[in-house]
Amino acid sequence: MARAPVDRTRPPASGTVRPFAFPSVRSDALASGLALRVARLPRLPVVASALVIPAAEAGLEESSAGHAVLTGEALEGGTRARSGSELAEALEGIGASLHVSVGWDATTVSLSCLADRWEDAFALLAEVVFRPAFPEEEVARVREQQLARLRQRAMDPGSLASDRAAELIHAPRIPYARSTFGSIASVARFDGAAAERLAGERYRPRRGGLVVVGDVDPDRVSDVADRVLAGWEGGAPEGRDFEVAPRFREATVHVIDRPDAVQSEIRIGHTGAAMRDPAYHPLMVANAILGGTFTSRLNRNLRERHGFTYGVRSSFAFRRSPGPFSASTAVATEVTAPAVREIMAELSAMADHGPTEDEVEGARDYLAGVFPLRLETTGQVAARIAELIVYDLPDDYHARFRERIRSVSRTEAAEAARRHIRPHEATVIVVGAAAAVAGPLEELGIGPLTIHSAEPPEPPEPAESRSGEG
Amino acid sequence: MRAAPRAGPDSTLHVPWEWHTLGNGLRVVLSPDPTAAVVGVNLWYGVGSRNERSGRTGFAHLFEHMMFQGSANVPKNRHFELVERAGGSLNATTWFDRTNYFETLPSHHLELALWLESDRMGWLVPALTEETLSNQRDVVKNEKRQRYDNQPYGDWDERLQAMVFPSDHPYHHTVIGSMADLDAATLDDVVDFFGTYYVPSNAVLTIAGDAPPERALEAAARWFGEIPAGSPIPPLPGHPDPGPRIGGTVRDRVRARVPLPRVLIAFRVPTFLDPRFHAVEVAGAVLGAGRASRLYRTLVRERRVAKDVASFVYPLITGSSMMVIWATGYPGADPAALEAALVEQVEGLASATEAEVARAVALTDTRFVRMLEQVSERADLLSMFTFLFDDPDRLNREMELIRAVTGEDVRAVAERWLGPDNRAVLAYEPAP
Repeated sequence: MARAPVDRTRPPASGTVRPFAFPSVRSDALASGLALRVARLPRLPVVASALVIPAAEAGLEESSAGHAVLTGEALEGGTRARSGSELAEALEGIGASLHVSVGWDATTVSLSCLADRWEDAFALLAEVVFRPAFPEEEVARVREQQLARLRQRAMDPGSLASDRAAELIHAPRIPYARSTFGSIASVARFDGAAAERLAGERYRPRRGGLVVVGDVDPDRVSDVADRVLAGWEGGAPEGRDFEVAPRFREATVHVIDRPDAVQSEIRIGHTGAAMRDPAYHPLMVANAILGGTFTSRLNRNLRERHGFTYGVRSSFAFRRSPGPFSASTAVATEVTAPAVREIMAELSAMADHGPTEDEVEGARDYLAGVFPLRLETTGQVAARIAELIVYDLPDDYHARFRERIRSVSRTEAAEAARRHIRPHEATVIVVGAAAAVAGPLEELGIGPLTIHSAEPPEPPEPAESRSGEG
Repeated sequence: MRAAPRAGPDSTLHVPWEWHTLGNGLRVVLSPDPTAAVVGVNLWYGVGSRNERSGRTGFAHLFEHMMFQGSANVPKNRHFELVERAGGSLNATTWFDRTNYFETLPSHHLELALWLESDRMGWLVPALTEETLSNQRDVVKNEKRQRYDNQPYGDWDERLQAMVFPSDHPYHHTVIGSMADLDAATLDDVVDFFGTYYVPSNAVLTIAGDAPPERALEAAARWFGEIPAGSPIPPLPGHPDPGPRIGGTVRDRVRARVPLPRVLIAFRVPTFLDPRFHAVEVAGAVLGAGRASRLYRTLVRERRVAKDVASFVYPLITGSSMMVIWATGYPGADPAALEAALVEQVEGLASATEAEVARAVALTDTRFVRMLEQVSERADLLSMFTFLFDDPDRLNREMELIRAVTGEDVRAVAERWLGPDNRAVLAYEPAP
């Protein structure tokens, strides 16, 4: 084959850009008030569905923290028509997988299956959500598993750091100070009656939605959804939206002591911004530059320049109410204080001076460019559409996302960074060997340092003896 | 224009492909799909931890990191920066038998990926420095600390591999290797390893997605064609055939800082290249995939002796592969009881029903089709089937092969490879 010589000394010119359009979505509302969103993507014979219900951890009292998550898990315990094992066999026998995920803002029941099985699989989903049985032995199992999981999280350095960061960043009365996994006390209080109550009150259609994406006929989906969901009504009590407040007004340092740790897990953060914050897009750009990409300032500094870490990232947890901002990494014990120093310096530089014009251009190109890459699968598209329902975002939000990102100016990104990245209010959490890291951390002069114990909680007593509490 | 990939439960898969070989031996696979303006580029090199000589464990992975530190025409950090600025994503992984490098990009940036990949395949050495090696050695050591040393149960694979594979077998040691060996690695090692294994004849390049085959092939030839072919790669160190079974039940009991007791059992099983591998895969799914699986149904749901269970089969190619199952107990659980519960389920496989096998096949099937939704996965699978089987079309027959597994096949797996003459048992107990 004859070959033209290539110029290897510079990046090749790009080809012709092909336009991208977010898949077209048909919007309906069912009689119950449930939003219906259907996108036909016939490339492969698969379907992804998501039923979004506003039963959320953020809406619960502290005494029942984790109960929305546990109720979601207990759904697999069976329905009034079949046991848990029979339900699993019915789903898996047709190759369908049902997954319940519960977070701060919603319960999402996702279903993935081959297209010719969708109607059968959807009928099973409906049975699970509307006719759950919550048998006591299944609920007890879910509760015991969660108590064991809490014990695992307390001994896993990364999970421990994230959980303690949430607690130390937020004022104690704020739901986000808790873990969506609940506490030992609140989990021990979970029983069949609690599950029945939560599902009865909160598994309601208003402000929820059904998203179906894949090789489906939208008319047929409407008919089936109308029929299967007939008679479902009402709305869940709200409480997902609140003001957040920090636990500390000034910067503080907390060492969670694991004397035998070979590494320190570091979290540095403070209260952040909500999903619907007008600064959302400028913050995406600023954070991509600070710590949201491989070539971010933080990763170049801590990984590629100093070799302190395998990787470091920063992120805003955008939720209905303002979730936290945090930078996170894991470093060898002996470089803990230098790593914290470098992170603090990068946060200050971004807050004080903002990004450069060139960095903003690069971040815009990155965010606009990767957006379609993350919409390859029916599951990814369904998840994006579900976000519109969870966060009350306009229908054209995703269609306009790239245009909005491309319009972010350096000034806008710098202003958003100045307001929402605040190193002087940061809470620094280090899970590591206090004897080695506390002294050097104190010398950084960030703020008062406290050493906390990392001892895992005692194994809980049998849950029956606690179920009368509260 | 060719049809986009199609698949159906009652028909075969139709992922289109073309296979060409350049003059220097580089195999090039093209799989067009114009439905989205996305292209996946995947380079599969036939080198992994199995090729490491003693005293250099972890080197294949450290080397993979060096591939991102620049090449003759690409300064350090520019590789990631250019791909991210193009709106692409990229990474690489090192495994026992191979190392893969991949980019997913808006399709008008295909040439960028080809330029970057060809520059480091052809001209890595001029960019190598002591400074970047020292930096990446630190990064990899931190990766080891983060993912293994500082993690509860973090040494489980090291302990299991050491029991399942003899000390002279290439799978006896882990991909991440040892700190001492990482420290011992030199720049000369990097140069030698590159010259030995990173040659066109030891690689497959797959371009999948929005790239017309004629143009993609022309571009691949333009960027990669002038790279010298290199020599055949040397034989594996050690003894690659460990025999079909471990020869007994070997044990390792660990008291460590772990939150809950956990028992893992590993078995030597036929390799991914063996026609019986699909039966092993389905047997593993009957045992541990999904909530109707034997382990979940019995140990987690009915008896509540396990908090979680898992089962997986490694698709390894050298002599033997490995299947692993585990159960994590509740606080205070007796590891011996967990082991007995696992063994009972394993032995019960000898009477697996047709319905159980049908469920496992349906789950395995659906997962395979869903994987094909992503262009990067299609590209990786095509590279793999081409490299290992000389047959990209194997991708389209994989579902048929999974569906052909019968109850009898699964029962035979239990009988031949899951018995007491072929078990490695690793038990973790929380230290007081």
